Amino acid sequence: MTEEKKPEEKKKRKTATEAAAKIGPMVKAMIADVLQARKEGKPIAYTFICCCYDEIVRAMDIVPAWTENYAGICGAKRDAQRFLERAESEGFSRSLCTYALCGLGFDAWREQLGEMPPDAPWGGQARPDVMLGSGQILCDPRNKWYQAAQHYIPDVPVYAVGLPWPPYESDYDYREVQDYYVKYIVEELRGLVAFLERHTGRKMDWDRLSELVDLTDRTWNLIWETYELRRAIPSPMGTGDAMNTMVPIVFMMATQQAYDFFKELNEELRHKIANKEGEVPDEKYRLMWGGGLPAWFALNDFNYFNSKGAVFPVETTYRTVEAVYNFDIDLSKISDPLEHIAWRWVKFWTYWYDKARKRPGSHPDVERLIQYIEDYKIDGIVMHEAFSCRTWHVGLIWQLNRLKKIYRDIPSLILESDIVDISSYNEADTRARIDAFIDTLEAVKSKGK
Amino acid sequence: MVEKGAGKGLAAAERYYQDYGCRAGELKRQGKRIMGYLCAFTPVEIIAAAGFMPLRIKGDVNEPITKADAEMETIVCPLVRSCFDVSLKGKYEFLDGIVIPHACDSITRTYDIWKYTLNFPYSHLINMPHATDKPSLDFYKAELNTFRRSLGRFAGREISDQSLTQAIRLHNQNRAKVRELYELRKMNPPLISGAEVTRLLVAAVSIPVTEATELINNVVEEVKQRGKVRAAKPARLMVVGGQVDNIDFIELIEDSGAWVVADDLCPGAREFFSDVADTPDPVDGIAERYLRKICCSRTFRERRGSYHEYLEQRFGHIGRSIRDFKVDGVVLYIYKYCDPYGFDVPAMKSYIESKGIPVLYLEDEYSMSTIGRLRTRIQAFLELLGSK
Repeated sequence: MTEEKKPEEKKKRKTATEAAAKIGPMVKAMIADVLQARKEGKPIAYTFICCCYDEIVRAMDIVPAWTENYAGICGAKRDAQRFLERAESEGFSRSLCTYALCGLGFDAWREQLGEMPPDAPWGGQARPDVMLGSGQILCDPRNKWYQAAQHYIPDVPVYAVGLPWPPYESDYDYREVQDYYVKYIVEELRGLVAFLERHTGRKMDWDRLSELVDLTDRTWNLIWETYELRRAIPSPMGTGDAMNTMVPIVFMMATQQAYDFFKELNEELRHKIANKEGEVPDEKYRLMWGGGLPAWFALNDFNYFNSKGAVFPVETTYRTVEAVYNFDIDLSKISDPLEHIAWRWVKFWTYWYDKARKRPGSHPDVERLIQYIEDYKIDGIVMHEAFSCRTWHVGLIWQLNRLKKIYRDIPSLILESDIVDISSYNEADTRARIDAFIDTLEAVKSKGK
Repeated sequence: MVEKGAGKGLAAAERYYQDYGCRAGELKRQGKRIMGYLCAFTPVEIIAAAGFMPLRIKGDVNEPITKADAEMETIVCPLVRSCFDVSLKGKYEFLDGIVIPHACDSITRTYDIWKYTLNFPYSHLINMPHATDKPSLDFYKAELNTFRRSLGRFAGREISDQSLTQAIRLHNQNRAKVRELYELRKMNPPLISGAEVTRLLVAAVSIPVTEATELINNVVEEVKQRGKVRAAKPARLMVVGGQVDNIDFIELIEDSGAWVVADDLCPGAREFFSDVADTPDPVDGIAERYLRKICCSRTFRERRGSYHEYLEQRFGHIGRSIRDFKVDGVVLYIYKYCDPYGFDVPAMKSYIESKGIPVLYLEDEYSMSTIGRLRTRIQAFLELLGSK
């Protein structure tokens, strides 16, 4: 039985910052909180990251169970294969999003047993009371995963929040359409509040919501300011650590804990900068993680880069915030918290549009790469193409091609594997490609001397 | 007007199918403007009302993908990769632009690649919501009006209500004619084969709508003359999947000893079974049809009632076709990397099986290289049906 396979052993990754090292226990506690909530009968919602509803869920005292997170944990613990195989045996193709497959395999198994699958990582994923999907301009699984999960938990209702943002077009400015985007999102969020009140018995505390919206703005600003500190040479923190510190960004937003975490990280980075303490002792190459979710089972690859003197001062992945004071709208003047959330959403996704329009042939995603290359003094770009996710992993090649065309040729590497499915990963091959990339960086550097 | 010489019905369809886009190229040379599009969710009425001929972009299962990979990741739906590959190779160089709806990740996430790489004079992404509730419908209508204004600017003329109403009427006539064609599949044996239907409908989305209606009408008349001379085959199958724009797979089934009598495909029933309603503001009718009436896995239907009722809500159209076309078995034919359909497989399968109808689920790659493997699976499925 594939379901009885034991997970492979996985060594703990060494982090550069103390803050990043605290993330593991925080996530473990988060999962335990959900299990405890189940025992206490508190309402639990299956939730996705970056769906605008963090403040809403927390203001209503509903416990979020972040399903992508749990799949990532299974992946990081190298214990996802049995859940992927279970999903496959249900009829789901292995080419689909492996976060979703892992979650669906887990749900199917848990429902069949009436209890957690044996040795479920960190105690398992609790059965939800509601599931909050989302229809965005990206990520079909957010629209399909929970609908598919209903096949195993048919009594659990789903709400799909429509969360579009204006596309970047040549023949009109997004400001021409932003009002109806915001109006729609506000209506969808209002519908979500009504749905949650109906299905959980919890009432929205609107004052609490306003407080959390304000806390989220402040947290966004603090995160942005903290990450900007990584411009320092040597850089005090890399993407390997950022794949830990993404936890408070996407799973703990609208909590004091997230704010406090970044306050602490901010102080730690300032201290490191003052002492010229870098991610590695001898920083040789400054790289950008320019796209793609990481292979959660292979985060040690970041340490391998480090061993070659390569550091990652910046990444586009999970940098899902901007400083709200840089938006062309004063969010503090919007009194309706739902409208506030909607405007923040639209302004985040359109943040790079104006800048892109100023450079012929540019595009917001490419413009962002250019800005980071300049701000963080980047020597090369590394991306990761996860085979099972079209959302974040389509357009990477094109972005690099465009970058070369409208800006300059910069060494780049696209690694290939997956977010969860370890069978797609070959460590020897990956490391050989990293070695070759380092050689290229060295050659370029030598030429420039 | 349908092609002169070489027959007006099935033979003309064959020519348009084999030399896909030839009529569009011909019209382009005569000064007509041609707008390419992907997917059944592109509101072709708006394109036609602006004075363009809509041309659905299709791939080529016989053409190896050799150029697309330099710009587009291989994890994209193989159909979309093929469409892009043949476009890069100049198949659609006569196009004045491209319109892409927010249908699925493979289409939407590649919009910029299409736009910047092929550099057509015009491009537009229609941001279609997934949900079908009232706010989503209102939002979608606003998006359609943005598209209407944008395309009007490019066309150099505002798209009037009158021209929209006219385009709606012509496309509804076309759809009605397709439904008439499908009636011929209900007979036993069907008067027209599945491969002939697919070939005809692929041809139909490559020519102006009035010509397409005439072509389909000619085929209906031609086929009716056949009478009941075709040999009966034991099994009547339905094929469910995404865009199937080549006949090879359908032919494979029919060569294996079954009729394909029904489908939920595009081009196919999904695309032609619902009309745009006649509404005072024509955009209302268009929004309603594309968001709510087209039954595709990419659209999220809000659940009403029990889970069993929800399955009926989502897949009832398949159930009705099974009943109306007297289907013995269903083939779920889903492309690799297709998230919308891939996630529906277990639910769809259990819904169909609950009707007592066996299901064969096949994942494929939009390439002739897999045809041998598919043949084995189809033959085994037909044996299973035969033993029942």
